[in-house]
Amino acid sequence: MNIIIGMINGMITSATPILLAALGGSLTFYAGIFNIAMEGMMLSGAFFAMLGSYYFHSWGMGILFAIVGAILMALVFILFAVVLKMDEFITGIGLNLFSVGLTTYMLRQIFKVKGAFSSPEIVAIPKVDIPLIKDIPVVGQILSGQNLVVYLTLIAVIAVSYLVFKTRFGLRLRAAGYNRTALDTSGVSANRIRVTSLILCGVLCGLAGAFLSLGYVTLFTENMSAGRGWISLAAVILVSGNPIGIALISLLFGFTDGLGLFMQRSLPSQFTSMVPYVATLVALFVYSMRLKKKQTV
Amino acid sequence: MVFPGVLAQPVSSPPEFVLPERMDPVQDIIEMNRIVKIFPPALVALDDVSVTFRKGEIHAIVGENGAGKSTLMKILYGMQPADSGEIIFNGKAVKFSDPGEAILAGIGMVHQEIMLVNQYTVWENVVLGSEPVKFIDHLDSKKARQLVKDKIEEFHFNLDPDAKVEDISIAARQKVEILKLLFRNVSVLIMDEPTSVLTPQEIPQLFDELKRLRDDGHTILFISHHLEEVLQLSDRITVLRKGRKVGTIEAKDATKAGLAQMMVGREVIFESIRNGQQPGKVLFEVKGLNYIDPDKRQRLTDINLKVRAGEIVGVAGVEGNGQLELVQIIMGLIEPTSGSILTIGEDITRQPILEKRKRVAFVPQDRANMGASAAATITENVIMTHHRLNDRFTSWAGRILNFKHAQAFTDEVQDKFDVQMSSGETIFKSLSGGNQQKVILGRELLLDAPFILLDQPTRGLDVGSIEYVHRQIINMREQKRGMLLFSADLEELFRLSDRLLVMHRGKIVAELITEKTNITEVGYLMLEGAADEA
Amino acid sequence: MKRKVLVNVVGVLLAFLLGALVMGIQGYNPLETYYRLFEYSLAPGKITYTLSKSVPLILTGMSASVAFASGPINLGQPGQLVMGALFATVGGIYIDLPPVLMVPFLLLLAMLGGALWSGVAALLKHWFNMSEFITTLMLNMIADFFTAWAITYPFFEENANHPQTPLISASGWMPEWGNFNSSVIVMVLAFVVIWFIMNRSTAGYEWRLSGQNSLFSRLGGVNISKNYIVVMLLTGALAGLAGGLVIMAGPHRFIKGIGANYAWDGVMIAMVANSGIILTLIFGFFFSVLQTGSLGMELITAVPKELIQVLQAVIVLIVVAGRGYFETLFAKMEARRKMRERAT
Repeated sequence: MNIIIGMINGMITSATPILLAALGGSLTFYAGIFNIAMEGMMLSGAFFAMLGSYYFHSWGMGILFAIVGAILMALVFILFAVVLKMDEFITGIGLNLFSVGLTTYMLRQIFKVKGAFSSPEIVAIPKVDIPLIKDIPVVGQILSGQNLVVYLTLIAVIAVSYLVFKTRFGLRLRAAGYNRTALDTSGVSANRIRVTSLILCGVLCGLAGAFLSLGYVTLFTENMSAGRGWISLAAVILVSGNPIGIALISLLFGFTDGLGLFMQRSLPSQFTSMVPYVATLVALFVYSMRLKKKQTV
Repeated sequence: MVFPGVLAQPVSSPPEFVLPERMDPVQDIIEMNRIVKIFPPALVALDDVSVTFRKGEIHAIVGENGAGKSTLMKILYGMQPADSGEIIFNGKAVKFSDPGEAILAGIGMVHQEIMLVNQYTVWENVVLGSEPVKFIDHLDSKKARQLVKDKIEEFHFNLDPDAKVEDISIAARQKVEILKLLFRNVSVLIMDEPTSVLTPQEIPQLFDELKRLRDDGHTILFISHHLEEVLQLSDRITVLRKGRKVGTIEAKDATKAGLAQMMVGREVIFESIRNGQQPGKVLFEVKGLNYIDPDKRQRLTDINLKVRAGEIVGVAGVEGNGQLELVQIIMGLIEPTSGSILTIGEDITRQPILEKRKRVAFVPQDRANMGASAAATITENVIMTHHRLNDRFTSWAGRILNFKHAQAFTDEVQDKFDVQMSSGETIFKSLSGGNQQKVILGRELLLDAPFILLDQPTRGLDVGSIEYVHRQIINMREQKRGMLLFSADLEELFRLSDRLLVMHRGKIVAELITEKTNITEVGYLMLEGAADEA
Repeated sequence: MKRKVLVNVVGVLLAFLLGALVMGIQGYNPLETYYRLFEYSLAPGKITYTLSKSVPLILTGMSASVAFASGPINLGQPGQLVMGALFATVGGIYIDLPPVLMVPFLLLLAMLGGALWSGVAALLKHWFNMSEFITTLMLNMIADFFTAWAITYPFFEENANHPQTPLISASGWMPEWGNFNSSVIVMVLAFVVIWFIMNRSTAGYEWRLSGQNSLFSRLGGVNISKNYIVVMLLTGALAGLAGGLVIMAGPHRFIKGIGANYAWDGVMIAMVANSGIILTLIFGFFFSVLQTGSLGMELITAVPKELIQVLQAVIVLIVVAGRGYFETLFAKMEARRKMRERAT
């Protein structure tokens, strides 16, 4: 029983940052932006979260810093891709590299360390116990006692779905992706919508980053996002941006990650670490097969 | 370096029919003064154009393709900034930095390409940009839908507010565009070539609607190059030529010939230019072709056609009735569900494209995507296909390119097809539209393929280039090549084709001898299909 | 031509200016820092070392440039590099031939390793239409873990305190003269071959045109899917070659994390070079100057060498953005000039 509860909790833990970043990617996907900068935004978020928490001894400041740091990256993306009309793909790659460089440099410059920084001064984001529910056996161990960010993520899934499908902003957001000239000629600047979606993406990626460095650990390591931004991009592509679909796919990735840890008893760790990436390939394969089937029948 | 379009033939003759242009504060609603617009690298789209529009008139703006009509209107609408000049609207100088501001001020524009979100319903499209909301930003769908329904009834538009735009006809989409502007209470309506996407039968209905709007007090600015329509519909007419204004005249004083002369600067003849030569043996044949697309919709049904040597077969039809799919299948971009394609008796249906290209030359409608690589040099564009079919362009068993011969070939195309360019190293996209098409024509016609597929070969070209392309096509006919000509321009089809096929909903519904039919009959068939069709 | 040079130089200078600003704010002397940077990498005796260090940068850069110019978005250079390195290492451990044969043999093996890895992505695309843009990224991660496993278990060196393989046979070491490593010669040869293929051969012509407009090329009779596979294999081989040379010119064994240094450099160089082969050579060398010089910079001025990572990314962003921006600006200026000429 405990193993299963452990695996479910592991699944939630690994799914959370991917899901948050993918929700951000969902917004930019609907806005018609080829946004591959989630990786960089998440990494910056992780660094700044650690920075804020370290200096103010407060996880709240950590989250705030994470969001500001990720929005800064979003602004750089906006400057190059929207204002200077640079290719979105190149901007994204450039931004990811910039983020790696910047966080590594600051780690070295501010904390005088290479590789990783950890300190008791860094305050982690707390777990939240839900009264009553926490006393239910089994279910209580899953529904209650999760990290605050996990609950925020749950709210974010609902909020993003509502935003995209039920609001004025959502109508304009999707129009920007479907046909941006149609939106422009309707008197709504498609660029303004794109900018808004990128900033919201920054907020969500910042939160994802904060979860990485202040969630279950209190440390920052170089390139800590480790490809999660790319996996979240794959998730967005696989379900064409749909937030609920993204949540399910992210949980699936989280599950394979947990599965990998579980398999460590019988396989070398290098192989179990591959699992999420192999899972992404498999998911892409299934997706392509489905498309192909549709086309040949 | 030669920059086509800038240095070529300065417009000299002074305008002949100029009305006195003084702002009348009661009557006039818009005054555009000394507008200049330049498109890099070297296209002067508008050269010191001034024009005034009156309240409650239908004012046509006519000119050839490239005369600057659309650009002038886009500047008024805030889609493009003018490089200099001023706009006075309702007595105040205005400068709209985007269409939103123009719409807010009361000026709306319906574009040539319909700009709607196809995935949205009619009402969603109409309210987009001025949506009713409740609690902060929650879209009030119920209210929005009702408002749109009311507007539809107010203007007798006969539209279903819940229909998805991708499922309704082009004419209906155009109505949605107009409705969208009326929903925002605009007083000035700009219509950019609204009839170009309609069939002859749909046009009178549009004109009735526009006249009704005028009588309601709306001002309508109507861009067109169809002189008959302009004379039928408008109150006053402004003529542009090569970015300059030739004059503004009252429609009741104008004649078709007079307008044509103002537009082109010389007399134009509209008539067939074919001689009476007899067609020879069958060069190209389509047999029992069917195509069902990935979404399981039948796009082509039992297509049969033959093209003989020295014959031009025209294909008429409203866009989206299977022409695109037929072209794609002939060229091998998609595979038919059943049926076959033959050239000179040989089945080429499933041969690789390179094999087909030995017998099929192809002039596509979409120069930028199918006809050339915009970023490559002219020489690189010219030797495409030739580099595989003609040994002289390669050495080492086809592995190394022979640049000397490629360069010589570019010169040959330049000579034979009168391309205005500085050198073969020039980047293709820096050429004017007409010269781009000449390069493509040169490449394809010099392939010496017996059959030529022409897909809208003159789309977007100016009158001079159109004439040139037509002459080349007639030339090929005299050389006994067979041609299949797809065109949205009925005048072009009647001018060039020996026979006409009409496509409707993926079927060929009529095969007509050009001399024995007329535009009205073809227009009817395009819209309604054949009488015996279910 | 002059204009192109200008755009690149102005972009780089702007990035340096920004870097100087950052240093100034932190109380460093930017001029001295830059001086030390270039002194350390370009001084006589140092430049040969910088040149040797540029080999993997230029090779992975060419891999990315050829891919991007021809259409495939091969982002798998890091994975292909470590696979090439692993192949060369394993070959070097178990086989011993005379140097004349051994060096080419190991280089071929390295290219095979890289091509094999890019070939996986190519086949996934060819058979299942899976976009190489994501598959190559995932394969990078997988290659990373796979090579880590390979040097921890089957090919590990006993008694080493961290994962690494034994040394390869000395006959497979790239000859070195002072600071100059002969791997540079291999790189220059590869450059000449690639330049020739891209600019003079029929295949290169078809690749470039397909990269610009694949529909047009397909209609023109070009076999797009065959070319796709060839390009993927070739670019994988180039990245693999880089990996082989890293082993054969450097530590002569596969050490944990050896590929990490070159992770995104190839893609970055191709982007800043606009996928041009000659510009790739120039920027590859330039980035090597920055990376090599950063060590000297840190030693003397105490500016952390990680600053160079930031500077590289800024150079990419500014040069690429500037290229687009200046092009429209120049076009606009040209139009005005023509306008004035006509008026007079």
